[in-house]
Amino acid sequence: MTRPRLKDVAWLFFRVGNTTFGGGNPTIAVLQREFFERHWLSQEKFAIAFGLGRVTPGTNLLAFCAAAGWYLVGLAGAITAVMVITIPSSILVIWLTGVYDAGVKHPLGLSIISAIIAAAVGTMMGAAVLLVRSGLSKQNWIKPLLIAIAAFVLARLFAVPPLVVIGLAAVVGFFWVEA
Amino acid sequence: MNIFLLYLLLLKATMTSFSGLASLPMVRHDFVERYRVLTDRQLTTAVAAGQLGPGPMGLYVVSVGYSVAGIPGACAGWLAMITPAFLVIPILRFIGKRAEHARAKSVTRAVLMAGAGLLLSASVPLAKDAIHGPLAIGIAVLSFALIAFTRVDTFWVMLGAAGIGFLAFQF
Repeated sequence: MTRPRLKDVAWLFFRVGNTTFGGGNPTIAVLQREFFERHWLSQEKFAIAFGLGRVTPGTNLLAFCAAAGWYLVGLAGAITAVMVITIPSSILVIWLTGVYDAGVKHPLGLSIISAIIAAAVGTMMGAAVLLVRSGLSKQNWIKPLLIAIAAFVLARLFAVPPLVVIGLAAVVGFFWVEA
Repeated sequence: MNIFLLYLLLLKATMTSFSGLASLPMVRHDFVERYRVLTDRQLTTAVAAGQLGPGPMGLYVVSVGYSVAGIPGACAGWLAMITPAFLVIPILRFIGKRAEHARAKSVTRAVLMAGAGLLLSASVPLAKDAIHGPLAIGIAVLSFALIAFTRVDTFWVMLGAAGIGFLAFQF
Protein backbone atom coordinates (compact mmCIF):
# COMPACT_ATOMS: atom_id res chain seq x y z
CA MET A 1 0.00 0.00 0.00
CA THR A 2 1.26 3.52 -0.77
CA ARG A 3 0.62 6.38 1.65
CA PRO A 4 -0.89 9.28 -0.33
CA ARG A 5 -0.27 12.99 0.20
CA LEU A 6 -3.04 15.04 1.79
CA LYS A 7 -3.56 17.16 -1.31
CA ASP A 8 -4.02 14.03 -3.47
CA VAL A 9 -6.60 12.72 -1.00
CA ALA A 10 -8.35 16.11 -0.99
CA TRP A 11 -8.47 16.20 -4.80
CA LEU A 12 -9.83 12.64 -5.11
CA PHE A 13 -12.65 13.20 -2.59
CA PHE A 14 -13.41 16.59 -4.12
CA ARG A 15 -13.61 15.20 -7.65
CA VAL A 16 -15.63 12.07 -6.88
CA GLY A 17 -17.86 13.62 -4.21
CA ASN A 18 -18.96 16.55 -6.32
CA THR A 19 -19.46 14.81 -9.65
CA THR A 20 -21.29 11.64 -8.58
CA PHE A 21 -25.05 11.99 -8.34
CA GLY A 22 -27.45 9.68 -6.55
CA GLY A 23 -26.29 9.82 -2.94
CA GLY A 24 -23.98 7.62 -0.89
CA ASN A 25 -23.72 4.20 -2.53
CA PRO A 26 -22.71 5.29 -6.07
CA THR A 27 -20.10 7.65 -4.55
CA ILE A 28 -18.65 4.91 -2.32
CA ALA A 29 -18.50 2.55 -5.33
CA VAL A 30 -16.46 5.07 -7.37
CA LEU A 31 -14.16 5.81 -4.40
CA GLN A 32 -13.59 2.10 -3.86
CA ARG A 33 -12.37 1.66 -7.45
CA GLU A 34 -10.06 4.68 -7.17
CA PHE A 35 -8.57 3.47 -3.84
CA PHE A 36 -7.83 0.00 -5.21
CA GLU A 37 -6.34 1.27 -8.49
CA ARG A 38 -3.96 3.54 -6.58
CA HIS A 39 -3.18 0.90 -3.90
CA TRP A 40 -4.14 3.36 -1.19
CA LEU A 41 -6.42 1.12 0.85
CA SER A 42 -6.55 -2.65 1.35
CA GLN A 43 -9.75 -4.65 0.82
CA GLU A 44 -9.91 -5.28 4.55
CA LYS A 45 -9.62 -1.61 5.57
CA PHE A 46 -12.15 -0.62 2.94
CA ALA A 47 -14.57 -3.23 4.34
CA ILE A 48 -14.07 -1.94 7.90
CA ALA A 49 -14.57 1.71 6.82
CA PHE A 50 -17.72 0.72 4.92
CA GLY A 51 -19.11 -1.45 7.73
CA LEU A 52 -18.42 1.05 10.50
CA GLY A 53 -19.74 3.91 8.33
CA ARG A 54 -23.09 2.14 8.36
CA VAL A 55 -23.24 1.83 12.16
CA THR A 56 -22.18 5.45 12.75
CA PRO A 57 -25.10 7.88 13.20
CA GLY A 58 -25.86 10.45 10.51
CA THR A 59 -25.13 10.21 6.82
CA ASN A 60 -23.34 6.89 6.02
CA LEU A 61 -21.34 8.42 3.15
CA LEU A 62 -19.75 11.06 5.39
CA ALA A 63 -18.83 8.56 8.10
CA PHE A 64 -17.30 6.34 5.41
CA CYS A 65 -15.30 9.31 4.04
CA ALA A 66 -14.10 10.22 7.55
CA ALA A 67 -13.01 6.61 8.15
CA ALA A 68 -11.25 6.29 4.76
CA GLY A 69 -9.58 9.71 5.17
CA TRP A 70 -8.42 8.66 8.65
CA TYR A 71 -6.84 5.46 7.28
CA LEU A 72 -5.15 7.38 4.42
CA VAL A 73 -3.59 10.36 6.24
CA GLY A 74 -4.91 10.44 9.81
CA LEU A 75 -7.12 13.10 11.38
CA ALA A 76 -6.25 15.74 8.75
CA GLY A 77 -7.36 13.26 6.10
CA ALA A 78 -10.70 12.62 7.83
CA ILE A 79 -11.45 16.34 8.22
CA THR A 80 -10.32 17.15 4.66
CA ALA A 81 -12.37 14.34 3.10
CA VAL A 82 -15.56 15.41 4.87
CA MET A 83 -14.99 19.12 4.09
CA VAL A 84 -14.23 18.78 0.38
CA ILE A 85 -17.13 16.43 -0.16
CA THR A 86 -19.71 18.62 1.62
CA ILE A 87 -18.76 22.29 1.13
CA PRO A 88 -19.26 22.63 -2.66
CA SER A 89 -22.50 20.61 -2.63
CA SER A 90 -23.77 22.64 0.36
CA ILE A 91 -23.17 25.89 -1.54
CA LEU A 92 -25.08 24.43 -4.48
CA VAL A 93 -27.98 23.43 -2.19
CA ILE A 94 -28.17 26.96 -0.73
CA TRP A 95 -28.18 28.40 -4.25
CA LEU A 96 -30.92 25.94 -5.37
CA THR A 97 -33.03 26.85 -2.32
CA GLY A 98 -32.74 30.52 -3.38
CA VAL A 99 -33.65 29.61 -6.97
CA TYR A 100 -36.78 27.77 -5.74
CA ASP A 101 -37.79 30.70 -3.52
CA ALA A 102 -37.42 33.15 -6.42
CA GLY A 103 -38.78 30.76 -9.06
CA VAL A 104 -42.23 30.29 -7.52
CA LYS A 105 -42.99 33.98 -8.20
CA HIS A 106 -43.06 33.34 -11.97
CA PRO A 107 -45.81 31.18 -13.57
CA LEU A 108 -43.36 28.99 -15.53
CA GLY A 109 -41.08 28.66 -12.49
CA LEU A 110 -44.05 27.74 -10.33
CA SER A 111 -45.11 25.02 -12.77
CA ILE A 112 -41.60 23.50 -12.83
CA ILE A 113 -41.05 23.78 -9.08
CA SER A 114 -44.48 22.33 -8.24
CA ALA A 115 -43.58 19.30 -10.37
CA ILE A 116 -40.17 18.98 -8.65
CA ILE A 117 -41.78 19.25 -5.20
CA ALA A 118 -44.32 16.52 -6.09
CA ALA A 119 -41.42 14.34 -7.26
CA ALA A 120 -39.51 15.06 -4.03
CA VAL A 121 -42.44 13.72 -1.97
CA GLY A 122 -42.64 10.63 -4.21
CA THR A 123 -38.90 9.97 -3.90
CA MET A 124 -39.08 10.45 -0.12
CA MET A 125 -41.71 7.69 0.13
CA GLY A 126 -39.68 5.61 -2.33
CA ALA A 127 -36.59 6.09 -0.13
CA ALA A 128 -38.56 4.83 2.88
CA VAL A 129 -39.59 1.68 0.98
CA LEU A 130 -35.98 1.19 -0.22
CA LEU A 131 -34.77 1.45 3.38
CA VAL A 132 -37.21 -1.25 4.48
CA ARG A 133 -36.27 -3.47 1.54
CA SER A 134 -32.56 -3.09 2.34
CA GLY A 135 -33.26 -4.50 5.81
CA LEU A 136 -35.24 -7.53 4.67
CA SER A 137 -33.78 -10.89 3.77
CA LYS A 138 -35.27 -14.35 3.18
CA GLN A 139 -34.18 -15.56 6.62
CA ASN A 140 -34.94 -12.35 8.45
CA TRP A 141 -37.93 -10.29 7.46
CA ILE A 142 -40.47 -10.49 10.28
CA LYS A 143 -38.56 -8.36 12.78
CA PRO A 144 -37.52 -5.51 10.42
CA LEU A 145 -40.98 -5.35 8.85
CA LEU A 146 -42.71 -5.35 12.27
CA ILE A 147 -40.44 -2.53 13.51
CA ALA A 148 -41.05 -0.40 10.42
CA ILE A 149 -44.84 -0.90 10.60
CA ALA A 150 -44.92 -0.29 14.36
CA ALA A 151 -42.89 2.94 13.94
CA PHE A 152 -45.29 4.13 11.23
CA VAL A 153 -48.38 3.34 13.33
CA LEU A 154 -46.98 4.90 16.53
CA ALA A 155 -46.03 8.12 14.72
CA ARG A 156 -49.01 8.40 12.39
CA LEU A 157 -51.92 7.21 14.57
CA PHE A 158 -50.68 7.93 18.09
CA ALA A 159 -48.45 10.99 17.38
CA VAL A 160 -45.59 9.47 19.39
CA PRO A 161 -42.52 11.78 19.00
CA PRO A 162 -39.80 10.42 16.64
CA LEU A 163 -37.11 10.31 19.37
CA VAL A 164 -39.32 8.04 21.52
CA VAL A 165 -39.98 5.73 18.55
CA ILE A 166 -36.22 5.58 17.81
CA GLY A 167 -35.51 4.81 21.48
CA LEU A 168 -38.11 2.02 21.55
CA ALA A 169 -36.65 0.55 18.34
CA ALA A 170 -33.15 0.57 19.87
CA VAL A 171 -34.48 -1.31 22.93
CA VAL A 172 -36.22 -3.88 20.71
CA GLY A 173 -33.01 -4.27 18.65
CA PHE A 174 -30.96 -4.75 21.82
CA PHE A 175 -33.12 -7.52 23.29
CA TRP A 176 -34.34 -9.18 20.11
CA VAL A 177 -31.17 -10.26 18.30
CA GLU A 178 -31.79 -12.47 15.29
CA ALA A 179 -29.87 -15.75 15.04
CA MET B 1 -34.35 31.09 16.18
CA ASN B 2 -31.04 31.06 18.05
CA ILE B 3 -28.27 29.56 15.88
CA PHE B 4 -26.98 27.35 18.67
CA LEU B 5 -30.46 25.90 19.31
CA LEU B 6 -30.84 25.41 15.55
CA TYR B 7 -27.57 23.46 15.49
CA LEU B 8 -28.53 21.34 18.52
CA LEU B 9 -31.97 20.46 17.12
CA LEU B 10 -30.51 19.48 13.74
CA LEU B 11 -27.73 17.57 15.50
CA LYS B 12 -30.33 15.65 17.54
CA ALA B 13 -31.95 14.62 14.24
CA THR B 14 -28.70 13.59 12.51
CA MET B 15 -27.32 11.83 15.61
CA THR B 16 -30.37 9.59 15.97
CA SER B 17 -30.63 8.43 12.36
CA PHE B 18 -28.52 6.10 10.26
CA SER B 19 -29.39 7.24 6.77
CA GLY B 20 -29.62 10.57 4.92
CA LEU B 21 -33.37 11.19 4.89
CA ALA B 22 -34.09 9.24 8.09
CA SER B 23 -33.48 12.43 10.10
CA LEU B 24 -36.44 14.12 8.38
CA PRO B 25 -39.22 13.02 10.80
CA MET B 26 -37.30 14.54 13.73
CA VAL B 27 -36.62 17.73 11.75
CA ARG B 28 -40.32 18.03 10.87
CA HIS B 29 -41.37 17.33 14.46
CA ASP B 30 -39.11 20.06 15.90
CA PHE B 31 -39.15 22.76 13.21
CA VAL B 32 -42.63 22.46 11.69
CA GLU B 33 -44.74 21.22 14.62
CA ARG B 34 -42.95 22.34 17.80
CA TYR B 35 -41.19 25.64 17.04
CA ARG B 36 -43.13 26.53 13.87
CA VAL B 37 -40.15 28.19 12.18
CA LEU B 38 -40.46 26.12 9.01
CA THR B 39 -43.42 25.23 6.79
CA ASP B 40 -44.08 21.82 5.26
CA ARG B 41 -43.49 23.40 1.85
CA GLN B 42 -40.06 24.72 2.90
CA LEU B 43 -39.14 21.26 4.21
CA THR B 44 -40.13 19.58 0.93
CA THR B 45 -38.27 22.31 -0.98
CA ALA B 46 -35.17 21.54 1.11
CA VAL B 47 -35.41 17.85 0.19
CA ALA B 48 -35.87 18.76 -3.49
CA ALA B 49 -32.82 21.09 -3.35
CA GLY B 50 -30.73 18.34 -1.75
CA GLN B 51 -31.73 15.83 -4.41
CA LEU B 52 -31.01 17.97 -7.46
CA GLY B 53 -27.34 18.42 -6.61
CA PRO B 54 -24.52 15.92 -6.12
CA GLY B 55 -23.60 14.66 -2.66
CA PRO B 56 -25.44 12.76 0.07
CA MET B 57 -29.22 12.83 0.69
CA GLY B 58 -28.53 14.30 4.14
CA LEU B 59 -27.60 17.62 2.48
CA TYR B 60 -31.20 18.79 2.84
CA VAL B 61 -30.44 19.87 6.45
CA VAL B 62 -28.21 22.64 5.03
CA SER B 63 -31.23 23.96 3.13
CA VAL B 64 -33.39 23.65 6.27
CA GLY B 65 -30.84 25.72 8.20
CA TYR B 66 -30.78 28.29 5.39
CA SER B 67 -34.60 28.59 5.33
CA VAL B 68 -34.75 29.07 9.11
CA ALA B 69 -31.85 31.51 9.61
CA GLY B 70 -30.13 32.44 6.33
CA ILE B 71 -26.42 31.82 5.75
CA PRO B 72 -25.54 31.39 9.48
CA GLY B 73 -28.35 28.84 9.65
CA ALA B 74 -26.96 27.02 6.62
CA CYS B 75 -23.56 26.85 8.37
CA ALA B 76 -25.26 25.41 11.47
CA GLY B 77 -27.01 22.86 9.24
CA TRP B 78 -23.74 21.93 7.54
CA LEU B 79 -22.05 21.47 10.92
CA ALA B 80 -24.95 19.33 12.20
CA MET B 81 -24.68 17.21 9.08
CA ILE B 82 -20.93 16.54 9.36
CA THR B 83 -20.55 16.27 13.17
CA PRO B 84 -21.77 12.66 13.56
CA ALA B 85 -19.41 11.47 10.79
CA PHE B 86 -16.38 12.08 13.03
CA LEU B 87 -17.76 9.61 15.61
CA VAL B 88 -16.43 6.94 13.28
CA ILE B 89 -12.84 7.78 14.36
CA PRO B 90 -13.22 6.79 18.05
CA ILE B 91 -15.26 3.81 16.85
CA LEU B 92 -12.37 2.78 14.54
CA ARG B 93 -9.71 3.34 17.20
CA PHE B 94 -11.32 1.97 20.32
CA ILE B 95 -14.10 -0.35 19.27
CA GLY B 96 -13.05 -1.50 15.79
CA LYS B 97 -14.73 -4.65 14.58
CA ARG B 98 -16.57 -5.09 17.85
CA ALA B 99 -18.94 -2.37 16.56
CA GLU B 100 -20.09 -5.00 14.11
CA HIS B 101 -21.04 -7.30 16.99
CA ALA B 102 -24.42 -8.98 16.44
CA ARG B 103 -26.18 -6.98 19.18
CA ALA B 104 -24.76 -3.63 18.00
CA LYS B 105 -25.79 -4.42 14.44
CA SER B 106 -29.23 -5.49 15.62
CA VAL B 107 -29.74 -2.11 17.37
CA THR B 108 -28.57 -0.21 14.26
CA ARG B 109 -30.85 -2.21 11.99
CA ALA B 110 -33.83 -1.74 14.31
CA VAL B 111 -33.25 2.05 14.39
CA LEU B 112 -32.87 2.06 10.60
CA MET B 113 -36.20 0.23 10.15
CA ALA B 114 -37.96 2.54 12.62
CA GLY B 115 -36.46 5.45 10.63
CA ALA B 116 -38.08 4.09 7.47
CA GLY B 117 -41.49 3.83 9.16
CA LEU B 118 -41.11 7.34 10.57
CA LEU B 119 -40.04 8.70 7.18
CA LEU B 120 -43.14 7.23 5.57
CA SER B 121 -45.29 8.74 8.32
CA ALA B 122 -43.65 12.19 7.99
CA SER B 123 -44.12 12.21 4.24
CA VAL B 124 -47.93 11.93 4.57
CA PRO B 125 -48.46 15.58 5.70
CA LEU B 126 -45.80 16.72 3.21
CA ALA B 127 -47.74 14.97 0.44
CA LYS B 128 -51.00 16.60 1.56
CA ASP B 129 -49.31 20.00 1.44
CA ALA B 130 -47.46 19.60 -1.86
CA ILE B 131 -49.64 17.44 -4.07
CA HIS B 132 -52.70 19.01 -5.66
CA GLY B 133 -54.29 17.97 -8.94
CA PRO B 134 -53.96 14.91 -11.17
CA LEU B 135 -50.60 15.93 -12.72
CA ALA B 136 -48.88 16.28 -9.34
CA ILE B 137 -50.39 12.96 -8.18
CA GLY B 138 -49.10 11.29 -11.36
CA ILE B 139 -45.59 12.74 -10.91
CA ALA B 140 -45.47 11.69 -7.23
CA VAL B 141 -46.67 8.13 -7.94
CA LEU B 142 -44.25 7.72 -10.86
CA SER B 143 -41.32 9.11 -8.80
CA PHE B 144 -42.20 6.78 -5.94
CA ALA B 145 -42.30 3.74 -8.23
CA LEU B 146 -39.04 4.65 -10.00
CA ILE B 147 -37.15 5.05 -6.71
CA ALA B 148 -38.71 2.13 -4.84
CA PHE B 149 -38.68 -0.49 -7.61
CA THR B 150 -36.06 0.46 -10.23
CA ARG B 151 -32.44 1.60 -10.12
CA VAL B 152 -33.08 4.99 -11.75
CA ASP B 153 -31.07 7.75 -10.07
CA THR B 154 -32.94 10.38 -7.98
CA PHE B 155 -31.29 13.14 -10.02
CA TRP B 156 -32.94 11.93 -13.24
CA VAL B 157 -36.30 11.57 -11.52
CA MET B 158 -36.11 15.20 -10.37
CA LEU B 159 -34.90 16.40 -13.77
CA GLY B 160 -37.71 14.46 -15.50
CA ALA B 161 -40.25 16.06 -13.15
CA ALA B 162 -38.84 19.51 -14.01
CA GLY B 163 -39.26 18.65 -17.71
CA ILE B 164 -42.90 17.61 -17.15
CA GLY B 165 -43.52 20.85 -15.24
CA PHE B 166 -42.05 22.82 -18.15
CA LEU B 167 -44.16 20.99 -20.76
CA ALA B 168 -47.33 21.29 -18.62
CA PHE B 169 -46.89 25.07 -18.65
CA GLN B 170 -46.42 25.19 -22.43
CA PHE B 171 -49.52 23.19 -23.32
